[in-house]
Amino acid sequence: MNPTTFDKRTSVLIRHLALPVLLVVAWQIWASTLPAGSPAPAPLKVLQTLGDLLSAGSLLSATVQSLGRVVLGFAVASGLGIALGLMMGSSSAVRENLDPIIESFRPIAPMAILPIAILWLGTGTPTALAIVAYASFFPVLVNTVHGVSRVDRKLVLAARTMGISRWTVLTRVVLPGALPSILLGTRLAMGVAWTAIIAAELAVGAKSGGGGSGGIGQMMFVFYAYNIDLNAIVVCMAVVGVVALLIDQLFRLVEKRLIPWRH
Amino acid sequence: MTTANSGPLPAGTAPTAGAVPVRRPTLGAYRQLWVSLRAFGVFFLLWWGLHWWNGNPLQLPSPIKVLEALWVLLREGEIAEHALVSTLRMLVALSLAIAVAVPLGFLMGLSKRAEQCIDPLVEMLRPISGIAWLPLALFIFGVGDTLPVFIMFYVGFFPILLNTVAGVRQTDARLLAAARTMGVGRGPLLLYVLVPSALPTVMVGIRLAFAASWAAIVAAELIGSPSGLGFAIEWYRQLLMTPKVFAFILAIGVVGYLCDMGLRGLQRRLTPWAEGTGVSS
Repeated sequence: MNPTTFDKRTSVLIRHLALPVLLVVAWQIWASTLPAGSPAPAPLKVLQTLGDLLSAGSLLSATVQSLGRVVLGFAVASGLGIALGLMMGSSSAVRENLDPIIESFRPIAPMAILPIAILWLGTGTPTALAIVAYASFFPVLVNTVHGVSRVDRKLVLAARTMGISRWTVLTRVVLPGALPSILLGTRLAMGVAWTAIIAAELAVGAKSGGGGSGGIGQMMFVFYAYNIDLNAIVVCMAVVGVVALLIDQLFRLVEKRLIPWRH
Repeated sequence: MTTANSGPLPAGTAPTAGAVPVRRPTLGAYRQLWVSLRAFGVFFLLWWGLHWWNGNPLQLPSPIKVLEALWVLLREGEIAEHALVSTLRMLVALSLAIAVAVPLGFLMGLSKRAEQCIDPLVEMLRPISGIAWLPLALFIFGVGDTLPVFIMFYVGFFPILLNTVAGVRQTDARLLAAARTMGVGRGPLLLYVLVPSALPTVMVGIRLAFAASWAAIVAAELIGSPSGLGFAIEWYRQLLMTPKVFAFILAIGVVGYLCDMGLRGLQRRLTPWAEGTGVSS
């Protein structure tokens, strides 16, 4: 490469890194001016806590537990959402009858359902699963219905004219046609589900007095309420962000693999 | 759906060529109402059935009891009181988010250099959901009004920022070139070309931000606030007054829906030239 593009690249890289590095340095300087016993988090302490939590294994196990719940709840919700979405998309009778109910539940946030979920299912894993499933159901459903409605009518009619059964048309024509939209729905749903699980675990911890449901949200709450450690809370926040990023990248990869004609 | 009725076509004629005209011309709206009523009827019957089968009114009260609780709460003004608190917080948070995110978005959309500086930080913070800030924010702000406002500001900030950047970028390059050729200065260019062009996308961003922050307010109030709709739900759950819990959940849905309708109206008012901005979230 010639020197000008190299210079350009380094200057772009410097601009990319400048603000985050500056902020972290300022944070560290601010933290070092505080008295020794202050609970305020500092970058170096956060790194140290990250090392401690990783070597203790508690961070990893909490993350895995939260992820397991998200995957399970998401699987249930997307199974239901895709099936119902296909039905609503391909039959106007089903859609007309279900739409009023669905549309009146959609503006109700998953967290608003939480108190009822606690009443019905206690403060353990079933509540967390229910919240995740509720949260991820709507993006999948809405996008599936949208995807099915965008499938070329002529293709469906042509297939039907040639005597292909309804089921085959559904799996061979409608489903591939709606796939981009469905995958978008699942990606959105997974993002919402990950947010919802943190909220659910956090709130369950806050409202049941640390009634032990585990997961990374619960871990944050324990660090907030019992053994107070703001550094550990910052570590948990960073983990939440990284996991969200990884989930998003994974789904984008799957999208690229499954619908190469879109890219 | 609605465009079929607003065109020059006579009522009841399907707009697509070659389609058979539908035979029920004026019954459309009534039929839709009837279908909705029927759907809700079945829903309430199912609810009632579950209520009988469950046999525990603390877990699942009958629909009548919930409507009764709703009526009492409405008459005594309790719902209005909490809804007002929550809506005010939301308005403050959204205005703050708009005030910060829109200028920043314009800056990032217009200057490559600014975007290179700010974007990495945004992309680092964005995956961390607003909810995950709750414990730290509880430490910083304590229980009160500031905490929900902060969480909602944070949640609403990113959709508005990203949509503003996208809206500025989408501006037709030919329009910009034409304006520049005619010697339009920077200020008027911003005011008369860039802002009108970006506004529809910004409005979509604001609606997305509202949806996200309305979902987050419940969590924020549930955990860290002594008032508001989210607090009321949790309060009545602890008192085991389940009908009131249901009534408040209903209220959250209705207030959220009304606010979204208001925003849609605003969208039509402010950006009547926008087409196809009815993006479903």
